Amino acid sequence: MFSPDLINEARIGCGLEIASKKRLLEMLADLLAGDHPRLHTESIFERLLERERLGSTGLGHGIALPHARIREVTQVQGAFVKTASGVDYDAADGEPVDLAFALLVPEAANEEHLRLLAHLASLFSDPSIRAQLREADSPAALLRVLNSR
Amino acid sequence: MKIIILGAGQVGSSVAESLVSESNEINVVDTDVGLLRQLQDRLDLRTVVGNAALPSVLRQAGAEDADLLIAVTQSDQTNLCACRTAETLFKIPTKIARLRSSDYTQHPELLDNKNFCVDFSICPEQIVTDYLLKLIEYPEALQVLKFAEGLVSLVAARTVPGGPLVGKPVSDLRQHLPQIDARIAAIYRRDQPIVPEGDTLIEAGDEVFYLAATRDIRRVMSELRHRDQPTRRILIAGGGNIGSRLAGAAQDRYQVKLIELDELRAKGLGATLDRTLVLHGDATDEKLLAAENIDEMDFFLALTNDDENNIMAALLAKSLGARRVLALINRRAYADLLQADRIDIAISPAQISIGSLLAHVRRGDVAAVHSLRRGAAEALEFVVHGDRSTSKVVGRRICELDLPRGATIGAVVRGPSPDTPGAPLGQVLIAHGDTLIEPEDHVIIFIAHKELVPKVERYFQVGLAFF
Repeated sequence: MFSPDLINEARIGCGLEIASKKRLLEMLADLLAGDHPRLHTESIFERLLERERLGSTGLGHGIALPHARIREVTQVQGAFVKTASGVDYDAADGEPVDLAFALLVPEAANEEHLRLLAHLASLFSDPSIRAQLREADSPAALLRVLNSR
Repeated sequence: MKIIILGAGQVGSSVAESLVSESNEINVVDTDVGLLRQLQDRLDLRTVVGNAALPSVLRQAGAEDADLLIAVTQSDQTNLCACRTAETLFKIPTKIARLRSSDYTQHPELLDNKNFCVDFSICPEQIVTDYLLKLIEYPEALQVLKFAEGLVSLVAARTVPGGPLVGKPVSDLRQHLPQIDARIAAIYRRDQPIVPEGDTLIEAGDEVFYLAATRDIRRVMSELRHRDQPTRRILIAGGGNIGSRLAGAAQDRYQVKLIELDELRAKGLGATLDRTLVLHGDATDEKLLAAENIDEMDFFLALTNDDENNIMAALLAKSLGARRVLALINRRAYADLLQADRIDIAISPAQISIGSLLAHVRRGDVAAVHSLRRGAAEALEFVVHGDRSTSKVVGRRICELDLPRGATIGAVVRGPSPDTPGAPLGQVLIAHGDTLIEPEDHVIIFIAHKELVPKVERYFQVGLAFF
């Protein structure tokens, strides 16, 4: 179960028509910026891209966990997107990505963030979770699956 | 990577050619239908006909999804306008513009994100000129390439009989030069790469690539071949973009003569190049070359925009007694035919300038790339990040790394201290098995087969847990 501060329906996109990694990261940046007073889509997009350049966050099995440190947040912020069809993400297994969970963490990243990343990685390594996410047809349904463990 | 290339001229088409074989999706934009058709016949890419600076044309070329824009049309203005448009309307993350006029590059604020939004500007003519200047400075070298802000050089040289290290194993280098550290990164024998081990014997005629601190490269060279006389007299054929730049850059240190075919152009150059002797004439004219004492020339460079002329002029100059001749050759097939035969150095301008673009296409934090052996090999400078748990490289000794055979780390360059990012690099460590790699080190690696590049890129990537 994730706290609503970390992820909520407003920061989930379902079945979006997205054709590239670039657009996927832009969309996630847009959701993360949302109504946050200090966050801007452009700077989040840039930070996520910078991190991707050092190494793809594509986990395999169509999952990606883009993440970055950013000065403007004091606690972890998440966003989730399910795309209508997979995009080329340069993932380790070469599979296109259709499920992406993005994380922004404060500058001083710590053990807690690593644990969160590990939790997400283990959540998505479960084939039944992936199948349920792919079946879900609304942000609310996606959130229920994400919170089911 | 999704890449848009604007301009299908010499630069654009050779960029397309070297990127297309990799896992990239490429779209080329040009106003010339014929040029685009030629490209499409040869290469697996998409094309769009139109004005490269127009939003609708960029959109058609897939700007919304593109990772990289390479604006290399003939017009600086089109390239600038396209970068601005790409940023404002499409948020393309990386934008590279070819800018020939130094007017723009003298005002870097014009290129920043408030103005033309050019992340990197390149001037192929300047890159080629710098490359040629190095060859003038180091007459024994086939190639001298810079890494780590110039602290480290990668040098290619052909060994000659009687060179102190010829006939000896690679490991003897250390005994011959105990006070200097250098690393032989690759050896090409009859055009085939040999991965050098300590006991590999160096033969005469080998093309040896070595890495050393820039201040040491001459000493290492003297182990491979006897010291040539320094360059004093240069004859340049062709006063075009490259020839005139080179004359301007070399005229204060060398005696430079330049032959230009076009009379008006020759006059103009004569007026601007005050320390160069500019001659009007044809560089393939035997009498003219003889009259200009070609046999006393240390270096003859054929730099016209005509491959055949360059080849003929260089052959002629060599047979008339010029010590060393070089020909600029755009057509790859010609360059392959000629190198190491009767022309001392054949270079392809596209091949030389492609590295500056490849640095932005390669995965990872790549500070520099040089394409070698006509694209068959590559040398990269990676900046490494993370720690032992998030990187496969950091916190390990070079002997512990599991790099593919054919990928050889030649040098590591370390900053002054991790607390001062942005400060200039300091310490050059020539790679040995026990060299420990630290975070933020610049690691320079020679890759003998281009096919290995993706593997090496992956190896240098940080793991998921890196924040």
